[in-house]
Amino acid sequence: MTEWAVELKDVRKIYRTGPIEVPALRGISLRVAAGEFLAIAGPSGCGKTTLLNIIGGLDRADAGEVLVDGKNLQLLSSGELARLRLRRLGFVFQAYNLLPVLTARENAEFTLLLQGVPVKQRKDKVQKLFSEIGLAGLENRRPGELSGGQQQRVAVARAMVTEPAIILADEPTANLDSVTATALLEVMEQLNRVHGTTFVYATHDPQVMERARRLIRLRDGQIASDVAQAGHALEP
Amino acid sequence: MGVLVLVKIGWRNLWRNPRGTLLTALALGLGLTLLLISLGLLDGSHEQMVDNGVRFGTGHVVVQAQGYQETGSQELLLPVRVVSTTEAFFYTEAMKHVSRGVSPRLLASGLLSSAANADGVRIMGVIPGDERAVSLIPQRIVEGNYLADGQRSGVVIGTALARKLAVKIGAKVVLVTQAVQTPDTETTDADGGGMQSTLLRVSGIFRTGIQAIDAHVIQMPLPEAQALLGVPDRVTQIAVLLDHEGESLMVAQGLRKQLTGVPVEILPWREAMPTLAQLFLLDDAFNYVMNGVVLAMVGLGILNTILMRVIQRRYEFGLCLALGLRPVQLAVMIIGEALALTAISLTLGLALGLGVEHYFATSGLDMRWFFKSSLPTALVFDPIIYARLSLTRIASSVGIVFLTATVISFYPALKAARTELPGALKVF
Repeated sequence: MTEWAVELKDVRKIYRTGPIEVPALRGISLRVAAGEFLAIAGPSGCGKTTLLNIIGGLDRADAGEVLVDGKNLQLLSSGELARLRLRRLGFVFQAYNLLPVLTARENAEFTLLLQGVPVKQRKDKVQKLFSEIGLAGLENRRPGELSGGQQQRVAVARAMVTEPAIILADEPTANLDSVTATALLEVMEQLNRVHGTTFVYATHDPQVMERARRLIRLRDGQIASDVAQAGHALEP
Repeated sequence: MGVLVLVKIGWRNLWRNPRGTLLTALALGLGLTLLLISLGLLDGSHEQMVDNGVRFGTGHVVVQAQGYQETGSQELLLPVRVVSTTEAFFYTEAMKHVSRGVSPRLLASGLLSSAANADGVRIMGVIPGDERAVSLIPQRIVEGNYLADGQRSGVVIGTALARKLAVKIGAKVVLVTQAVQTPDTETTDADGGGMQSTLLRVSGIFRTGIQAIDAHVIQMPLPEAQALLGVPDRVTQIAVLLDHEGESLMVAQGLRKQLTGVPVEILPWREAMPTLAQLFLLDDAFNYVMNGVVLAMVGLGILNTILMRVIQRRYEFGLCLALGLRPVQLAVMIIGEALALTAISLTLGLALGLGVEHYFATSGLDMRWFFKSSLPTALVFDPIIYARLSLTRIASSVGIVFLTATVISFYPALKAARTELPGALKVF
C-alpha cells in the first residue's frame, strides 16, 4: 500500500465576506506520493494559495478530508497543527522569508531552535546544508546583506534543516531573475533527489512548471489537469 | 525554545531602527526623570517644611504632662526629674548623634501691656541656649537680639505684637499672668495663686511669617517665667529636635521606655501637631496623584510604541507562527522586547533624573523669583527647595515604572499572539 505524503478527498473551501460567498476550492481530490516534485499552477484566484494553506495546516477546509503525513488535519487542534508544521513541514514563501534581525545561520536554525535541538547539533546541521547549497561563508550575514537568491536559499535551508516530509513553496522564484531562479530550482531538485523530500510548489513560473515532474493545473477551484511531466496524464 | 533566545530576538528587533528606539527610550525615560525630580523636590520640600514646622512648634518629639495635649492646661507640669532623665537619655551613646537639641519650656497665658496697648500672649519660658538649638524663633530676630543665657527681665516678641503694643527695642512692658496652681506645687504667691506681674524689657523682635506666632508668642528666660508663675524648677514640656524626622517614632518609643510609670505623654510631631501632619498628608496625596499621571503617560508611551511595532510586524509574526512558533512564545518575545525598551528607557531616565536631582540637591530650586520684589523679610518656609531622594525612593520609582511597563506590554503581546493565519501571510 502506497504511503501518501498528501491525500485530499473532496476538499472544499468557501471564503465569506458578509453575505458574499466566494468558493475557493470546489471538491479537490488528489494524492501526492512521498518524494514527488510537484507544481500546482493556474491563473490568479484559481485556488493555488488556498490549497497550499490547507495542505500546510495554515487554514482549514470547510469540507472534505486532508491527510498530510498520515494525519487528518481536520481533526487536529491548532496546537497540534503548529507542531506538525514545525516537525513535518517546511515552508518557502515568495519573499520576506527571513527574520531581518537574525543572521543567515540564525534564520536557518530558527526551526531547530523551536524544536529545542542542542546548539552543537544545530550548528552542524546548518553548516552541512549551507555547504550543500552554496551558502558557506555567508552564515553571519543578515538578510539585508544577502541577495534575493541567497535569501531564498537560506529560506530553503531553514525549511530543509528539520528534515521535513514535505516542503511547500509558494512562488519561490517570483522575485528572482531567471539565472538566480534556475540556481535555486537546481538546489531544490538536488535536495529532492538526495534527501527524498517531497516538494509542492504553487507557481506561475514556466521554469518551475517545466522542471516539476508532475504538474497540476487549477481552474476556478477545481483541478483542470494533472499531468506527469514524463507524459502520463493522471485522472483528477 | 529558550526564553533567552526570544529575548535576544526582541532585543535585536529594537535595534532595527536605532534612532527611533533611542528617541522612544528617551521620551519614556523622561517620564522617569520627571518622576524622580518630582519625588525628590517633594521629599526635599517636605523635609524642609517638617523641619521648619516642628521648629516653630513642639520639635520632632515632645515630652509633656499626661493630658496636656488634650487640655492645654497650664496647671499640667512635668514632674521635676523628667527633665534630667530626658536630657540624660539624649546623652547616651546611642542617642548622642540622633538629636540636635533638647529644650525645656514653661508655657502659660498672660497679658502683655505697654504704655500704648495690651494684648493676650502665649508665654514661653525658655533656656536661651537650649532654645536656639531647637526653635527657629532665635534665628528670625529682625530687631535687637535674642535672649542670652543668664539674662534677666528680657523678652522677645513678634513683629505683629510689637506693632500692636507700639514698642521698640528697649521698651518696657508689663507681663501679667495667673500663678500656676497644681496639687503638688506650692506657689510662691502670698495670695495662693493670684495674679502675678513682672516688668520686662523688649530685647528682640522676631518675624516668623506665621501670624499666630508673630502676634501672640513671647519668649522670656525660664527662671523668670518660673518665678512669675510660682513654679520653680518646673516646666510644661520638653521639645526635642532630631537630625532626621524619620527617627521621631523610634525616639518617642525609646523615651517612653525610659519614662515608664511617669505620668507623661511623649508624642512624635505628627501626634503633637496633627493639623500640620494632615496638611502634609493632603499634599502627599495630591502629589501622588500627579505622579500617577506621569506614570500613566509613561505607560501609554510604552503601550503605543510596542503596539505600533506589533501592528507593523504582522507578516513577520505570521511567518513565525507558520514555522511553528507557539503563540505563547511569540507573546514572550514581545514582552521581552517591551522590557528591553523599558530597561533602556530606565537607564536613560535614571541617568538624567539623578543628574538633575544632584543639581537640585546641591544648588536647590530657587523659588525667590516667585516672590520677586515682594519677598518677605521672613518666610515660614525656605524659598530655596533642596531635593532629597532616598535609595528606597529611587528603587521604588524604577520598580514601579518597570512593573507598569511589564503589565502594559501584556496587551500588545496578547495581540501578537492572536495573529491569525493565514491572514497574516498575504503572500501565501
